[in-house]
Amino acid sequence: MMSERERLLKKLSGAQFAAHEMQLYLDTHKNDTAALKSMQEYQRQAAEFHREYEERFGPLSPRDLYGDTDFNWLNAPWPWENESEARK
Amino acid sequence: MWQYEKKLQYPVKIKNCNPKLAQIIISQYGGPDGELAASLRYLSQRFAMPYPELKGLLTDIGTEELAHLEMIGAIVYQLTRDLSIDEIKKSGFDTYFVDHTTGIYPVAASGSPFTAAYIQSKGDVITDLHEDLAAEQKAY
Repeated sequence: MMSERERLLKKLSGAQFAAHEMQLYLDTHKNDTAALKSMQEYQRQAAEFHREYEERFGPLSPRDLYGDTDFNWLNAPWPWENESEARK
Repeated sequence: MWQYEKKLQYPVKIKNCNPKLAQIIISQYGGPDGELAASLRYLSQRFAMPYPELKGLLTDIGTEELAHLEMIGAIVYQLTRDLSIDEIKKSGFDTYFVDHTTGIYPVAASGSPFTAAYIQSKGDVITDLHEDLAAEQKAY
């Protein structure tokens, strides 16, 4: 069973992956405007999922710490840990 | 520069430990055709690349290889979680465990530690691209 956190993380990763693959294609096809639009659409989705994740589950990148009153970077789980391990 | 994102490129969620499998998968971490070699190859070669397409491509692929490296590390970590002495001995993981316990160390499955001799960076565009093509074919 996937938690809400894992579900959102997977949506974010999917959008990021698609954006990155489009970026690799654009590295050698920079005049392909349809590809550029596609990359930007995935980037838009990724930014949205990132913002939602950060609001609900804490920082994903150091820049998410801006404006926080506590230093939340060390909060579990780390990416290689599972949820139950993180509660230990 | 790079900035960390506190997530894996794709989630790794392993329920059962399997040290035997970990000892094989570790080759994808620090073996001759592993992710560490891939990322270092691309990220080193790009400095001498003469064309913007290739500087960009090597930067962007090399970055993604680092994300792969992290996923492999997570796989090996989760496969060797909560091992008993008995499991360590029976699985053959004892030969790794004696040097690294359950620490993640860049090493080939056959035991050779990671070496930069796995890669080449020649400063010649055709030579380096051929190296990259060969590397990708080996890392199937």
